[in-house]
Amino acid sequence: MSEIPVRFEFPGNPPIKKFISNLAEAFPLQLTSQHYAVKTFYDSFDWRLYNANLLCEFNQSKVYSYLNLIHRETGQVVTRANLEKVPAFIAELGDSRLRQQLLPLLEMRALLPIVSLNLQLYQVNLLNKDEKTVARLTIEEYEDLKHRLTLKPIKGYDKATEKLTEFLLSTMALEKTNKPLLIAALKNQGRKPADYSSKLNLKLEPNLPAHQAVKIIYATLLQAIKLNEQGTINAIDTEFLHDFRVAIRRTRAGLSQLKAALPAEISSRYSQHFAWLGQITGTPRDLDVYLLNFSAYQAGLPAEMQVDLLPLQDFLQRKQAAAQQELAKYLNSRKYLAPLIAWEQYLKLPAEKSISAEVAELSVKQLADLRIRKVYQRAIKQGSVITEHSPATALHELRKTCKKLRYLLEFFQSLYPPPEIKTLIKNLKELQELLGNFQDCAVQKLALQHFCEEIQGSGCSQQTFLAIEKLVQVLDSKSCKARADFSGCFTVFAAPENRSVFKALFSPTV
Amino acid sequence: MKIIATYNIKGGVGKTATTVNLAFLAAASGYRTLVWDLDPQGASSYYFRIKPKIKGGSKELIAGKQDLDHLIKGTDFDNLHLLPADFSFRNLDLQLDAGKKPTQRLEKLLKPLANEYDFIFLDCPPSISLLSEAVFSAAHILLSPVIPTTLSLRTLEQLKVFIKDSQLKKLKLLPFFSMVDKRKKMHLNLMATMQEQYPEILSPVIPYSSEIEKMGIQRMPLPAYCSKGQALEAYQQLWQALLLQL
Repeated sequence: MSEIPVRFEFPGNPPIKKFISNLAEAFPLQLTSQHYAVKTFYDSFDWRLYNANLLCEFNQSKVYSYLNLIHRETGQVVTRANLEKVPAFIAELGDSRLRQQLLPLLEMRALLPIVSLNLQLYQVNLLNKDEKTVARLTIEEYEDLKHRLTLKPIKGYDKATEKLTEFLLSTMALEKTNKPLLIAALKNQGRKPADYSSKLNLKLEPNLPAHQAVKIIYATLLQAIKLNEQGTINAIDTEFLHDFRVAIRRTRAGLSQLKAALPAEISSRYSQHFAWLGQITGTPRDLDVYLLNFSAYQAGLPAEMQVDLLPLQDFLQRKQAAAQQELAKYLNSRKYLAPLIAWEQYLKLPAEKSISAEVAELSVKQLADLRIRKVYQRAIKQGSVITEHSPATALHELRKTCKKLRYLLEFFQSLYPPPEIKTLIKNLKELQELLGNFQDCAVQKLALQHFCEEIQGSGCSQQTFLAIEKLVQVLDSKSCKARADFSGCFTVFAAPENRSVFKALFSPTV
Repeated sequence: MKIIATYNIKGGVGKTATTVNLAFLAAASGYRTLVWDLDPQGASSYYFRIKPKIKGGSKELIAGKQDLDHLIKGTDFDNLHLLPADFSFRNLDLQLDAGKKPTQRLEKLLKPLANEYDFIFLDCPPSISLLSEAVFSAAHILLSPVIPTTLSLRTLEQLKVFIKDSQLKKLKLLPFFSMVDKRKKMHLNLMATMQEQYPEILSPVIPYSSEIEKMGIQRMPLPAYCSKGQALEAYQQLWQALLLQL
């Protein structure tokens, strides 16, 4: 029901008090408030609100403290909530419209302050003959940015807004703007919005030498590692570690799958370091996953048993805190940093002198075709021989192959026509999800059994052990379902039409 | 969307003050709120400093020739809109009678606003007429201010019988005491008797108060100019009691 505001910028940043007194000579105005304020923009590290076309603006002054959720393009206030402070996690808020709107977008991600601005705020009403407010003006006076005026129309009084708009543009020489203030504020810091995404967005030229292309890939992944490093150490939210690990896994997959493009000694040396990083981040991530899944675990149990699982949550939280502390120690160590710095320097070296002439001539497209073809064929071969009697390890091996294939497709997707490559990734993703569910259930079942042993004698009630046992059964049936669905899912993945697309896309070009 | 009609057969019982103040409190809690001033006297419109005039008058409005949304005005308060009165509303009965299914007309007119508002308050003129029947069909709650006098007792009884006879199952009648002078023994005695007789009477009591009368001078809802006091607390309690009934 809120009207679309009109936003203006002041060229030349004149003093606002003078501006208001000039405006008051032409229009009946009422200055309702003037005070110093602080405006802070919030979002998740991966810009989930910005990407959902929203801006989250926290406004504080002596007289108010509230959060505005604003539509990024229209500037309309979607939700306003009086808040004393912004919680790190939106789930900490009581049941409210704001929570309902933000939780599905932010999920487990923390709300972080992006940029903070100090301003002098003036609130002015435009009145009619009955002293009724017919439009509202909010004027923000900044030091380092252009002042802003937001004209908020009042429903049913459009003419007043039109008249004032005309006056502001022609007589007061203000300029209309559609750009959110956030963009200007970030520009002052040399940044722009949505400058981080966990998705790989590489643009590679097909004829680029393979050894140069892999360096671009690794440098992008290293950037992701570095960006997520502090958030992982400080445990701001679980996704820093997640993205940190994904970048490590991708690097590892690259080093094994694209090893032809780098000297063997380099691939081998850094493979070891990234393998170690994979290993030290494994336990904390697993514990994060158990805690993130905890409500789902509870929901899978009969209602009367759900509360009995709570001691397991306490146990997992303690274990996670210890694992996190250990990880932070590792990530602050020389053992972690020195090879990573060396890796960064290596990637910056202009050309690889120690590679063979054969490799030096290989283009990235040739390398991509070759590797994707090989790994795809391996996946088809592994999947085709899986029957209902095959051991779980056979599915696990296929899962690992599919992961490698997925990373290769993501590294090189800019070399292929988008619709085809996207369809292939989508099909692969479905198979990966099924294999992931199967594997996760198996691993979690095993982990729960270990946890049971660990909490024996810690004073946990029999009911807790019964609840964990029941949870193992629930995971078991989920895993059986994934196993039963495998054949159908693999048939779709390996369907002749998909195989032909693979063949057409990745056959060697002469 | 919940439709709350403030209604009494009698006039001068505090209907408009109740509508305006409760609508303000609803809007201040974040609910998207609309007040429809159905009284040709236009008192709600006056309190919000909005001209009691609508394009095309009641004739075009009832005939559905005017889009309700285009007639709505924003008040000076966030989340609070008003559909103003018009002097032609004195003929609403005649215009309703001229159309098909007159008692369902208001409900039909309000339907397109269902997604726009959380609460719609209908400020009804006194009397019992075709318009009142249309209001009863449209509303979920009939909030009825009652001054504790013997005459009010009679009109409340009439209203209850009318609602029962009309088989208005959706409608919930919620009377409450209004303009109560606690210094008057008669008010206190009658309140005690009536509360026994009508357990549905809401417990918050709106006092007779000069603070409320000042709404006419301030031309705004009581909570917009008064930050504390018995009258304000009474409206806040009434709003909470009403929320519990929804």
